[in-house]
Amino acid sequence: MNWGELWKLSGIVIVVVGLALRLRTTLVVVTAALVTGLIAGLPLFSNAGLLHDLPLLTKPVVDASAPEGIINMLGRAFAEYRYVTLFIITLPAIGLAERFGLQEQAAAFIRRIRAATAGRLQIIYQLFRVFVGLLGIRINGHPAFVRPLIYPMSIGALEARADAGSADDLPQNVVEEIKAANAASENYGNFYGQNLNIVQAGILLVEGTLKGLGYPVSTLRLVLFAIPITTLSVILGALQFLWLDRRIARQTADAEGKKL
Amino acid sequence: MTYLTSLINAVFSLGAVYMLTGMVLWIFALMTFRDHGNARRIGSSLFWFILGTTFIFGGIMPHWVTGLLVFAMVAIDGMGRVVRGTSHEATPAEQRAEAARLGDKIFLPVLMIPIITFALAASALTLKWFAGDVNRAALVGLGLSGVVAVLVGMKLTGGSARMTMQQGRRLNDAVGTVSILPQLLASLGVIFAAAKVGDVIAQGIQQIIPADNLFLLVLANCLGMALFTIVMGNSFAAFPVIAAGVLVPLIVRPFGVDPAMVGIITLTAGSSGTLITPMAANFNIVPTALLNMRDPYGVIKFQLPFALMIWSLHVVLMWLLIRLI
Repeated sequence: MNWGELWKLSGIVIVVVGLALRLRTTLVVVTAALVTGLIAGLPLFSNAGLLHDLPLLTKPVVDASAPEGIINMLGRAFAEYRYVTLFIITLPAIGLAERFGLQEQAAAFIRRIRAATAGRLQIIYQLFRVFVGLLGIRINGHPAFVRPLIYPMSIGALEARADAGSADDLPQNVVEEIKAANAASENYGNFYGQNLNIVQAGILLVEGTLKGLGYPVSTLRLVLFAIPITTLSVILGALQFLWLDRRIARQTADAEGKKL
Repeated sequence: MTYLTSLINAVFSLGAVYMLTGMVLWIFALMTFRDHGNARRIGSSLFWFILGTTFIFGGIMPHWVTGLLVFAMVAIDGMGRVVRGTSHEATPAEQRAEAARLGDKIFLPVLMIPIITFALAASALTLKWFAGDVNRAALVGLGLSGVVAVLVGMKLTGGSARMTMQQGRRLNDAVGTVSILPQLLASLGVIFAAAKVGDVIAQGIQQIIPADNLFLLVLANCLGMALFTIVMGNSFAAFPVIAAGVLVPLIVRPFGVDPAMVGIITLTAGSSGTLITPMAANFNIVPTALLNMRDPYGVIKFQLPFALMIWSLHVVLMWLLIRLI
């Protein structure tokens, strides 16, 4: 192994340090790209067209082939990957529907599915999130569903079970765990459910990357092989949430016991 | 007839959908520019205007111009000049009244989005539209569905075009500049590939793992993917590197494995890493703030046992599938 090659990993170091220092992610990523390219000896611009033979900014043509410039590469990839950001065109329709009560109606709709315990509610929400992924819809679940909807419903279910008047009467560590479970059911459903539709960014990324490496694959085949992990994620999530229900039942019983 | 066909082809093309998205971004930019309640209206509107420009002209501009425009966007964002604008959000009472008036019909416009996307993807599959290219058909479907959903939504609610775009801008502002991050990370991946960063990582793994031991290679692949995702906070950024450095040269090529099968399993092995990294702040840290939790790492701690379990299952599943198929 050539140890000089390790310098090429400085882009990774920049990303780690930059994010740890909470600098602007966009700035960190582009800096990492620039530094990595320069260390690898790539020119800033391709030696062609308007920028032909610029000193320092380009490299001379050798054997009729010039290396692609970092900025050219950045622009090419940014333009090529525009499809990842195509969701912006759906925002006016979603915004309009929200203005006319989409969230309220969604809340009423989910409330019709009666869930007796906090754990079971997380299972249902995770399944719902998988279904949303299957439809190919990208939603920002934490602010859109979890905070306004799933969290109050979970606390409500807990209060009903523990016979508590309000969340203040519930053991604090139980409430903390419910909150964590709320965030987790969104992440589980989102991460492992989003690969069930060919329009999803992850599927497109895998397809694009493999094509670039000389292995064109069908996106439908990618979706097919995403199914086993999605299934396992739903089972594992359900086990964890049912286990949570059991622990909550024990803890609230203990708390009741102390009160009496 | 040929004129009509070429017209239809032009409308149902990815280029047309990019152009529409660019137009939407330009409208957001104009509205932001005229929004005097936005403390950073010049910087913010310039950012969205440039992004719109890359959407409309990205296919025909020289790549170095697009590259410089990306620099400009990142500089504006880096200086903190892109902020949310003001918008007239309906009060909860208003929303409740509208929800009571429209009932479940309000789902109609948003349901247009998945339905049209699926319909066009299916048309490519069965009727061989879009020359049978399902991926392109689905993307064009997503773009056109945005337009159809707006038309259906306006007809249903009686909302104006201006209100519709204002609501779109509200959501776009809420997402913020993070929306270009996937495109930037993809670009980073391209430069990592050109600099052969993956080769360095692959060499490291090759030094440790015997190249003929399939199970250890699968283990190294999934572990590398998870660790790199923990570092990057994003499995999308890690995937191109691991795919180019480990998956393709060490598993797909020598063992003749189906790249689609191991590709998608490698990606979700990364998702297991996303569950336990504070770098993925939007998934793990922001929610603790939203839910007013005491422990900022409470979500990560809850997800840790799940992440370890499902990651192990990735290793076993990938190894078994390669063995069996």
